[in-house]
Amino acid sequence: MRLIPYSYPSFRSVTPFAGVGGRLAQADIEDQLDWLYGAALTGISNSVGGGQFPVDLYNDKDNLYVRAELPGVARDAISVEIVNGSLSIQASRKEKSGEEETTASFSRLVSIPDDVQGDKVSASYENGILTVTLPKKEEAKPRKINVSVN
Amino acid sequence: MSLFNSLIRPSNGTPAGAEGETRETRRPHYEIRETEGSYIVTAYLPGVARDGLEIVDEEGKLRITGKCAHKLPEGSVTLHRESSEAPFDLVLEHDSTVDTGKIEAELKDGVLRLSLAKSEAAKPRKITVS
Repeated sequence: MRLIPYSYPSFRSVTPFAGVGGRLAQADIEDQLDWLYGAALTGISNSVGGGQFPVDLYNDKDNLYVRAELPGVARDAISVEIVNGSLSIQASRKEKSGEEETTASFSRLVSIPDDVQGDKVSASYENGILTVTLPKKEEAKPRKINVSVN
Repeated sequence: MSLFNSLIRPSNGTPAGAEGETRETRRPHYEIRETEGSYIVTAYLPGVARDGLEIVDEEGKLRITGKCAHKLPEGSVTLHRESSEAPFDLVLEHDSTVDTGKIEAELKDGVLRLSLAKSEAAKPRKITVS
């Protein structure tokens, strides 16, 4: 399983608001530079403006779960696909600011193990969290074998 | 004439909640927009349900706290983790241009939209020349 870890952008995020009032302190500038360097190094923009988003993976004996933070996305703007053994999650969010409407796009590719049933994948979306459930193949589930000892 | 003229930065380990407990919080992404009659705050709070959200406006400080509702299913094992469990905490300071009696909030799909009506004095006024 291969994943490029997501690094949270600094929550002292770059906002147009930071300059409102004309008071942009030295510390704020440093924060913003840190954020920009971080963004440049990891190749992300941020989970709000578009780009990557944080993903968790966990499993139990029956399923593998992929949980993704995608707040404010319409259900029909989410696409979940299995492509060449990887799970592809794509989403877009329309944002209105006054007259203008912009679209932020997100995508993430998560390598998944061979022992899941790609054709039985399901997904749910609640409170801005997408949870993809990938059932494991029968042979991948732990099995109890009774051995009779003579 | 500034909208929210300063920001208070919640540092890690600030006391969160009235009980005075100390724990880590994280500041959500947010945006503020100004319209003619109000300020619109959009805060991204993935994983926060309505009952985990608290908005308090007190003495010119608007505090938004959100706890994530997510729980791992029983017997599951985490393989890879990028999200955070820390509750969201955002404090915005505002001046008297906000009519605190007219704050509306809507939470949908992990996005909180707050509408803070401007006080009458802060609204632009047209003066007719006679």
